Amino acid sequence: MEQILSVKNLSYTYKAGRVNVKALDDLDLEICRGEIFGFIGPNGAGKTTTIKLILNILPLQNGKIKISGEDSSKPKTRLKVGYMPESAVYSRYLTPKELLYMYGRIFGIRKSLLKQRISELLALVDLEKEGSRLIGTFSKGMMQKVSFAQSLINEPSVLILDEPTSGLDPVLRKKMRETILNLRDAGKTIFFSSHELSEVELISDKIGILNKGRLLATGPTKSFMGKKEEGLSLENYFLNLIKEKQ
Amino acid sequence: MTAICPIVFATIKEFIRRKDFYVLLILFCVLLTISSMQNFFQIENVSRYVRDVGYSLTVFFSFLIAVTVSAGQLPREIENKTVYPLLAKPISRRMVVFSKFCASAAVSVLSFLLFFIAFLAFDVMKTGGLNPLLFAQAAIFGTLFLCMVCAFVIFLSTFMTFAANITVSILTYLFITGFSDSLRDFSIYTKGAAAICSEIVYYLIPHFDFFNIRIRLTHEWGTLPLWVIASVGAYTVTYSFFLLYFAGVIFGRKKL
Ligand SMILES: Nc1ncnc2c1ncn2[C@@H]1O[C@H](COP(=O)(O)OP(=O)(O)O)[C@@H](O)[C@H]1O
Ligand SMILES: [Mg+2]
Repeated sequence: MEQILSVKNLSYTYKAGRVNVKALDDLDLEICRGEIFGFIGPNGAGKTTTIKLILNILPLQNGKIKISGEDSSKPKTRLKVGYMPESAVYSRYLTPKELLYMYGRIFGIRKSLLKQRISELLALVDLEKEGSRLIGTFSKGMMQKVSFAQSLINEPSVLILDEPTSGLDPVLRKKMRETILNLRDAGKTIFFSSHELSEVELISDKIGILNKGRLLATGPTKSFMGKKEEGLSLENYFLNLIKEKQ
Repeated sequence: MTAICPIVFATIKEFIRRKDFYVLLILFCVLLTISSMQNFFQIENVSRYVRDVGYSLTVFFSFLIAVTVSAGQLPREIENKTVYPLLAKPISRRMVVFSKFCASAAVSVLSFLLFFIAFLAFDVMKTGGLNPLLFAQAAIFGTLFLCMVCAFVIFLSTFMTFAANITVSILTYLFITGFSDSLRDFSIYTKGAAAICSEIVYYLIPHFDFFNIRIRLTHEWGTLPLWVIASVGAYTVTYSFFLLYFAGVIFGRKKL
């Protein structure tokens, strides 16, 4: 299958004052077109750091990242990439429509096309009625929906979601999973991070397990399910793996 | 370049919906009304006085808006983490800085023009007539001044907190409008290292005093020749360019 996102020998060290924090250690990832890649790891494993490096929000220190075969450092490569951050608080004085319009225009999307896409996206995340309400009045779940809609404004072929279901109630979680599956069926590649195994297990085609900046295991979700039949749930497998490698 | 307009329009919308401006505008009108009532207190030539106070208030109030709006742009994006989705768009960090500058300048100039219109209305009521060309020049100088202030504050905001930035900007403004002439005199009348130092400082500081045509306006000294306006314009563009260039470099290297 065609590779759409490849990460090679990725290491990253934060310099926080005098202490150095090694957040990533020689990470390799390969994500193919049209698959859902679940990136699991406990808090502080380095998931967000990886995503920031892929999006060139953090500068590369080591290694190579390619999106559709192109170097990720050029702004142009992000034209077909969508990104939902971990917990952004969007401007309280704008409405979702205005926010999406602003982001769409930054992508250079034509006005007429953009209006139509915005109403489609608001319908997708169930915010049709609230489209013209100020974001300042929104709950956390609604903010997440805005954030998700925002990531789809440019009809990305690669979608990067950082903990998309965190802080959502069970109903919204289920809805989010269904939407992600639908997007995959529509041909998009999805890279999403989570610290909740059940989430990842349910929808991913492929899984990568990250702990303390190192990739402990990666492969098709099925190969991990095999272990489930041996009476080992993914959760136990995951916990054992983390314990083993310490 | 496609990023500039959407960011500018969104910022203007946010500004209109926040109530800060209306509070300042009301305060502005109250102060103008009070100052125009000074004829109760038997001040001679009250029209000149109204013009003096009115113009100073117009400039100072729009300066305050420029500082508070520009100082918040980048730090708020970082604090709310909206800088991440923004940087994930096909836009460079320098373009983010430049767009934020354009947005702050647009908002500041817009509020300046509103203050200025209110001031003109008062002025016409009190003095009964004015030199339109001179006032147009005052508006141009006000616009240039605010662009320079925005560039200065955006530059500081790449490494200063919101509160520190506002304090430093206001102090710089007060210092320069108050003491830049003394600095010039000092460099002329001293010798040696002190003179050279003060000379260098004099040429490096952002000359907010260049834009001050309050006295000319108050005394109706007639319009400025074109070359003066062109030089001040060129100064503004050059100085702002360097400020924004360094702002882009610092923000570009910032670990977010
Ligand atoms: N700005 C930063 N400065 C210093 N250390 C950081 C910074 N951001 C993250 N880290 C550290 O890097 C590691 C990985 O963080 P992160 O990528 O956010 O993890 P995750 O998203 O998997 O929870 C953690 O140990 C965290 O403390
Ligand atoms: Mg994270």
